[in-house]
Amino acid sequence: MIERLVHWSRVKSPWVLHLNTGACNACDIEILAALMPRFDLERFGILLKGTPRHADVIVCTGPITRQNRDRVVRIYEQVPDPKFVVAVGACAMSGCVYRGAYNSCGGIDQVLPVNAYIPGCPIRPDALIDGVVKLLNSVK
Amino acid sequence: MNPETILETIQRDIKEKIMEASLSAPRRIQVRVQRDQLNAVLAYLKQQFAFTHLGTISGNDLGENFEVVYHLSNAVTSVNVRILTPRSSPKIPSICSVIPGAILYERELQDMFGLVVENIPDPRPLLLADDWPAGQFPLRKDWQYERPAEVIPGGE
Repeated sequence: MIERLVHWSRVKSPWVLHLNTGACNACDIEILAALMPRFDLERFGILLKGTPRHADVIVCTGPITRQNRDRVVRIYEQVPDPKFVVAVGACAMSGCVYRGAYNSCGGIDQVLPVNAYIPGCPIRPDALIDGVVKLLNSVK
Repeated sequence: MNPETILETIQRDIKEKIMEASLSAPRRIQVRVQRDQLNAVLAYLKQQFAFTHLGTISGNDLGENFEVVYHLSNAVTSVNVRILTPRSSPKIPSICSVIPGAILYERELQDMFGLVVENIPDPRPLLLADDWPAGQFPLRKDWQYERPAEVIPGGE
């Protein structure tokens, strides 16, 4: 009974942490647009949280820079289980134009296990909503 | 005061400090100086013609030598002050006593080219990652980067 309640609340109200791992800010602006009233991610119960300790989903934008790698892993470890990582944008998926550069580690999946990839450069808010809803459906 | 008169004044006043001065394009003066005369020339330009704005300092790997270009400008023209430093002992003088804001560019030069800036007020690394190995300078032409193997999640 309790387990079902926890599962229901997790699917109905995932709290997200918005984490920029080295992006150019374009994807971040689109994520903010998605959270605003026009696209209104909150109708899926999705709330933006300021700390990893309250979050269920990490929304990562940008390639992981060499300077950022250890910090990203530390933030990931602070998120309580079960946790999900969404790679947002072309850079977060593969490293994009920064792939193979000396100060970049490539996509998010080189460092963290990724649950969902959302393509686009930058992503559209609709794509973000679609990706998050698909992630929630897979959790169901 | 136009670029031509500035060039003539430079060639007349500090003839013994510079190696060469010319006008490479309209409103762009090129000045070559020796390493040890750099601070004197920059102080003269700043005081005489108000070349107070340092756009950037750029480094250039020429093989045998490194060329360092100081991009200065005032209200009417810009001037590029160039110095050469040999690869075997890549030392350049710090210009922070004349232009204090140059500190960031000089720290970047130290990171990227391995130039040794003498008398720099703050020699800490600026741009590269904290765990960057010592003695690796990414903007040198002979620098090779070994790309680490990529992980493919879930296999092939």
